[in-house]
Amino acid sequence: MNKTLRSPWTYVLFLLPLLILYLMFFIYPMISAFTTAFMKWNGLTPPKFNGLTNFKHAFADSKFWESASNNGKFILFSVFVQVPVIIFFSLLISNVKKLKGLYKTAVFVPSVMSTAVIGILWSFIYEPDIGLFNQILTKIGLHPVMWLSDTSWAMFSILITNAWQWTGFYIVMVLAAILSIPREIDEAAIVDGASAFTRATRITVPLIMPIISVVIMLSISGAMKAADIIIVMTDGGPGGVTDVMATYLIKYGITNAKYGYGNSIGVLIFMFSLILTALYQVLIARRVERVEY
Amino acid sequence: MTMTLRSVRRSIPHILLIGYLIATLYPFVFVLFSSIKSDNQAIASNPFGFPSSFHFENYYEAWVNAKISVYFFNSLYISTLCSIVTIIFSAMGAFAITRMRYLKISKGMYQFILIGLLIPGNALLLPMYKMLNDMVFFGHAVLGTHMALILPYTAGALPFTVIILSAFMRSIPGEIEEASVMDGLSAKGVFSKIILPITIPALVTVFIINFISNWNEFLLANFFISTDELRTLPVGMVGFRDIYNTNYAQMSAGIVFSIVPVMIIYAVLQKQIIEGLTAGGVKG
Repeated sequence: MNKTLRSPWTYVLFLLPLLILYLMFFIYPMISAFTTAFMKWNGLTPPKFNGLTNFKHAFADSKFWESASNNGKFILFSVFVQVPVIIFFSLLISNVKKLKGLYKTAVFVPSVMSTAVIGILWSFIYEPDIGLFNQILTKIGLHPVMWLSDTSWAMFSILITNAWQWTGFYIVMVLAAILSIPREIDEAAIVDGASAFTRATRITVPLIMPIISVVIMLSISGAMKAADIIIVMTDGGPGGVTDVMATYLIKYGITNAKYGYGNSIGVLIFMFSLILTALYQVLIARRVERVEY
Repeated sequence: MTMTLRSVRRSIPHILLIGYLIATLYPFVFVLFSSIKSDNQAIASNPFGFPSSFHFENYYEAWVNAKISVYFFNSLYISTLCSIVTIIFSAMGAFAITRMRYLKISKGMYQFILIGLLIPGNALLLPMYKMLNDMVFFGHAVLGTHMALILPYTAGALPFTVIILSAFMRSIPGEIEEASVMDGLSAKGVFSKIILPITIPALVTVFIINFISNWNEFLLANFFISTDELRTLPVGMVGFRDIYNTNYAQMSAGIVFSIVPVMIIYAVLQKQIIEGLTAGGVKG
């Protein structure tokens, strides 16, 4: 028994393909990003060590901060706008008796779609002349809006599209948590004469806090990853107002071949994600008790 | 009176939910209707309503002009191949980690692979770009060929897949393999004849998740491939939009082409997809 499942060669053989790919596509690029972040390098000529210059450059660059603050807007929008909406609709779906399956299936549809195709679809909806939104606005007697090319609307338009894509995904997650709460808890509250609103706010929401915490965590990591939707819808425009850190990195690293500087942005993305996760764990997640029924 | 009041109150949630459904699904209907209207003028004069005449030639034009068929099959084979290789490698690794008798090394190995989940993918874009550009395969740089997508897609899904499969394999009772070792099976035999067949439900789930995320992937496909013939569907669609964005009817037909396959897969496998995606908590 022990002999068969304790053979060093077999063990290595089973792990080798996995390890090779993992080292090649996670560990090596990671180390490479961290070392070249301290170099002046165009990707062709030999790299030159220049210490913290790239990072100083990034911190002094108002365009970089603008892109970082757009990641922040993604996070704030999902936490303060999307999460309440998610909870509200999850509660509604969990309480209806008919059509529950239909709602659950239909709200999920956008989250299996490609972000690129959704970006194209929504660019059409935002189209100034024949797009759906401006047609509605003119129908009700309002002025049309240049959704994606007006600097004050562009970021908001992207946030709406992103919310449209992912809200249903989270609703299904939260809904699953609500439906796993034993019915007796709710029935006992009904017997005690608690209204639907009281039951929702005093019983259901506190019980699903752990999953809401997961939703917030996933929204934060999603906000740090966002790039494809921006490249497809505005490509950072107009004038860089919709750039996020990842698109800013691509502009410098791939389009302008500033590998060293681009990698220092990559390291900053990594650091910011790590700090946000740590802060979140310390400030919020720790206070959310694990609930046992 | 009380009856009607109660039924009104009971229908309020449905009214709100149907409002939400319309907001979710109407954009698809808008594109579907637009795709069979004659031109921009016809869309502008009747943006919401059903088309007055059907122009299915938009679909023909989009299929031919945009080479959507080419992009479609590129995406199909890359996504399938990568998802299969990922689950084979991950299942082998998970087997070694959870079932073989090297507990301490395995524990460390598991933690090491877990780190992969913490690394934000787009922070690695540049080093990967550079590495694939320096890698040579049959005299060509890997960058710009399908290998530049196949390798990172296969590798990228490993940490998540290993974690899901390890969790599943850990729950298999040890008596099963003890009996099979008694019957004379080797470690490879235990893996392929005993553990793998038991793991099939988990394998199916991770296959679907990886397939969908490979199918939808845009960033690497956009920057690592430059030949039109090699493009995948999301990137091909963006290129199509940029060229034909004056003809919204045709563009809508293109969008319908790229949405329908996913809709069909979702309609058939929605239960597994929802379970898998929400269990893994993967996004985008």
